[in-house]
Amino acid sequence: MAELKPWLQLILKQRRRLFVGALLLLLTLLSGLGLLALSGWFITATAVTGLLWASGVFASLNIYVPGGGIRLFAVARTVSRYLERVYNHDTVLRLLSAVRIRMFRELAAISQTQRTRLQGSDWMIRLTGDLDAMDALYLRLIAPSGLALSISALLVLVAYVWLSPTLALSVAGALALAFLVATVLLHWRNRQQAAERTVQLGWHRNRAIQYLEGQAEVTAAGLSGQLAETLCTGAETLSHTQWQVDQRIGWHQALATFLVHLGALLALWFGLQLHAGDTLSGPVAVALPLAILGLVEVYTLLPDAFGQLGATVASAGRLNRDCAFQTDRPPAGQGRPAAGQWEKVSISNLVIRTGTGPAILDGFSLEVPLGQWLGIVGQSGGGKSSLADAVAGVGEVSGGHIRGPSGASEIAYLTQRTVLLHDSVRNNLVPDGRPMADDRLWRVLAMVGLADRIARMPAQLDAWLGPYGTTLSGGEGRRLALARVLLSEASLIVLDEPFTGLDKATQASICQQLPGWLESRTVIALAHSPSALPPMDRIIHLG
Amino acid sequence: MESTLAGTRTRAKATAPEPSQARGWLTALARDHRREIALTVAAGSAVGVFTVLLMAMLAWIIHQAIITQVTTEALLPWFAATALVMALRALAQGLQARTTALASHRIRARVRQQLTESWRRAGPVSLKAHSAATLASEWLDQVEALHGYFARFLPQMMLCGLVPILILLVVLSQDWLAAVFLLLSAPLIPLFMALVGMGAERVNQQHFEVLGRLSGQFLDKVRALSTLQLFGATEQAAASLQSRSDTFRSVTMKTLKVAFLSSAVLEFFASVAIAVVAMYIGFGLLGYIAFGPAEELTLFSGLFVLLLAPEFFQPLRQLAQNYHDRAAALGAATLLLGRLDNPAPGVEAPAISANSRTASNDIRLNRVTVCYDPQKPVLDRVNLTIKQGQCLVLQGPSGGGKSTLLNVLAGFVPPNEGTVTVFGQVPGHQPFGWLGQSPYLLQGSWADNLRLVRPNATEQDIHQALALAGLTSQVSARKSGIHSHVSELGQGLSGGQARRLSLARVFLADYGLVLLDEPTAGLDPASQQDIRAALARLKAAGKTLVLASHHDSLLALADQVVRVDNGKIVDG
Repeated sequence: MAELKPWLQLILKQRRRLFVGALLLLLTLLSGLGLLALSGWFITATAVTGLLWASGVFASLNIYVPGGGIRLFAVARTVSRYLERVYNHDTVLRLLSAVRIRMFRELAAISQTQRTRLQGSDWMIRLTGDLDAMDALYLRLIAPSGLALSISALLVLVAYVWLSPTLALSVAGALALAFLVATVLLHWRNRQQAAERTVQLGWHRNRAIQYLEGQAEVTAAGLSGQLAETLCTGAETLSHTQWQVDQRIGWHQALATFLVHLGALLALWFGLQLHAGDTLSGPVAVALPLAILGLVEVYTLLPDAFGQLGATVASAGRLNRDCAFQTDRPPAGQGRPAAGQWEKVSISNLVIRTGTGPAILDGFSLEVPLGQWLGIVGQSGGGKSSLADAVAGVGEVSGGHIRGPSGASEIAYLTQRTVLLHDSVRNNLVPDGRPMADDRLWRVLAMVGLADRIARMPAQLDAWLGPYGTTLSGGEGRRLALARVLLSEASLIVLDEPFTGLDKATQASICQQLPGWLESRTVIALAHSPSALPPMDRIIHLG
Repeated sequence: MESTLAGTRTRAKATAPEPSQARGWLTALARDHRREIALTVAAGSAVGVFTVLLMAMLAWIIHQAIITQVTTEALLPWFAATALVMALRALAQGLQARTTALASHRIRARVRQQLTESWRRAGPVSLKAHSAATLASEWLDQVEALHGYFARFLPQMMLCGLVPILILLVVLSQDWLAAVFLLLSAPLIPLFMALVGMGAERVNQQHFEVLGRLSGQFLDKVRALSTLQLFGATEQAAASLQSRSDTFRSVTMKTLKVAFLSSAVLEFFASVAIAVVAMYIGFGLLGYIAFGPAEELTLFSGLFVLLLAPEFFQPLRQLAQNYHDRAAALGAATLLLGRLDNPAPGVEAPAISANSRTASNDIRLNRVTVCYDPQKPVLDRVNLTIKQGQCLVLQGPSGGGKSTLLNVLAGFVPPNEGTVTVFGQVPGHQPFGWLGQSPYLLQGSWADNLRLVRPNATEQDIHQALALAGLTSQVSARKSGIHSHVSELGQGLSGGQARRLSLARVFLADYGLVLLDEPTAGLDPASQQDIRAALARLKAAGKTLVLASHHDSLLALADQVVRVDNGKIVDG
């Protein structure tokens, strides 16, 4: 349960909103209970009075106050329910963005190399699911349990003070048992299966992906049908486990309802006994059991959340692990000399290894003087990108060291993979939001041959790219990514396969203008062949 | 050409099914499992009956104690009976939960089966158009999204038509005027349902859209995190996430404020009905109402009617809460239906006429045409005969049709015109060896990878196959031998080793026909040499080999060399 702590702390930051929301919830439920209890009181009182009148006894009954009360409760229930829904929905949306922004900040604080284990579509899907579980913490878990506890305590207290301790304690016993059944006991029974679900889901997802990727081989071997069946059987086991979890939730819901009903019956028993002993009026003896019956509404909310609590805790645990709330992580771009004090990039005895395999680069050394343009040519899979990552200060290095510039302000790096943001053209060009004259943006766009394309979009520099906006082709995206690097003021420019997906003419035109644009800056460019590089001062071959 | 056009037309239609089609599909699925759903509704109705009984007994006990002045001790049997009814009600509620999940469990299993069947129909080539992760997510997550519809929404919808009517009849037996008050809202019930539906649907749509956009923004930023870090833009990104979610929130809340009104109306009517019934009964008991059945009201009938009034509206309120299940299921159904309806090329494979289904020892292509775009056939009336035990090498420029020809021989792509027979049968009828350009390795050991094609292979078989593929030294170098792990991306396994592992599968399964697409592409000369030696062993074992290759080094194996260019065979 400790896993939930950081997330509960985050949620509790909205203390005022949570308090108002809870108050509205309480008001809604109280109005509902009040409506039923007061109506019961009213009907019993009128029945008793009517009987007295019929037998000629004079009795008075104020019908206006309870009548007004009933109307008030009816209206209050409607209004507070509406306000509660609007207000709490707003809160949930706020929590939703707070949770995501916190997660993003945590992830951003980890360097790229430490984040590599967090990649792949599976991780993204899991992350989304885990965050959803955190969004639901307040409205599904905290609010209903707080509500059930506080309103039950209120009823018991009222009964204790005004009616009788025996009555109050027996009702308290039944309600406490109902609460345990709906929360702790259910969590205890379901926690393991609920917690393992995400892991199993991931396992079955991988199996399905493997089956799909190997379909040609599997079909050729004539085993496609057999394996598909295995796959379906596995999914059925998964769904069966879920069925068991759901069933337990249902049974605990039923049992909790039974116990609340039993509480109402106990209240009626003791109330009627008090009534027989003339220490309690009939209408009051009726009102309390009816109010307790109304508690069913809030008690049935609990099992849904607590039956899945195991999964929620597991989600929190994974999120905590992924964003690694630890202090011993070195910042990105580690151990380089301070800014602005370098005359050359010097690489000595560099060793790069991925996983446990053989070293991709072993004892690689290189010096690039300030202002030099160096090309590095090598086969694919020869370690170019790993070298580029290392030079840019984002890759993992197993041995040796690199001296030279560091950090985003001094190195601009065009990665081999084109990454565009689902954002405006402007924010794609200047992601850090530095003030930049439109004029300069247009100049660099013209240089990479995108100015016409962007000018044709209705919103131009503010046009949205990605879903709900324009989608650029691979080559266009590459050029935009290149433009982004060219807009940087960094003194070292690292370009990994800068011209992927570009036609010869565009490449030639860009190559012609690059030297002027990047004058006096140091450029290290990597490609599979010299023809895929701009004109360089020096070219070395890797491997 | 006619059939291709028709095919593309149905495909375009199938990718975006109408919402009504999705609804129809869900209804049809429910119809096939109506027994389980009926059980759920029966259990739900039993809950309703026991609730009515429970309220009657509570009202009766109160009446007896307060009006008839019976002592509580004398009422003890009544209390015990009430507790029993409460227990029975809980039992029915538990059973409802049990059956409710059962129908959904079975339906999901069936849809998953249909999906895997549709994958198999579509075949490996057309499946490549979609990412495996997307397909797997449909198979798992989207099918899962159907759960709430069958488990909660549908039974609740049916209960909405049963329980309120039952309660109304019971109230009618007690006091017809009170029943009229409830009945007055009864014609409104369809209106409520429409209102709730409209409101809930709008809430849902908005909610999911905002969730989708927010979550999309968040995931996009996470995906681009390395780039954002490179440009020192993470703070900027967090700020933009914040401001965008604020905008989303304020826009959503505007719509939600209106949408929530519909459920407020329902809540209002439920509250007012209770209030009106309470006032009516109270005044009736006081004798203020001098007409109708009011004079016959007792504390029992009055309390009973009052206790039933909220239960009259309860099923509807529950339905409003379950409405999002419907929206989620409809969304999933639209997607899944698009996948299931995709006409599979495999189904349209022309049947082989009886006279050509003779015991033939060769592979024959007769005027085979394949076109994805009717204007530009990928294969154009290709005739080809390959004798058993021979090795055919396909050469030609990339995009010339070599891979398509291999896919036709594999049965992965059916010809639009013409016929193909492989040893007298339809392609794919007999298992065969397939070596794609990127060999498929599963996460597991070397043995697991080999047993993929022959699950019952012994360790000795595996060692032998590895030896024939020239992998003995690599495997014995590993600590756990054939039980050591081959990682998914071939990390720790070079390209040449991965290809030879695929070849080992062919040796293990002992196929008569082996199809290979560029078996030596991207390999260093030593690896190429290893592969060629392994292929030579396959040929020596009497296998028929068809391989597409750029490399001349494999020509030495060829009994026949064919050049495929522009979809036509240019004999080389």
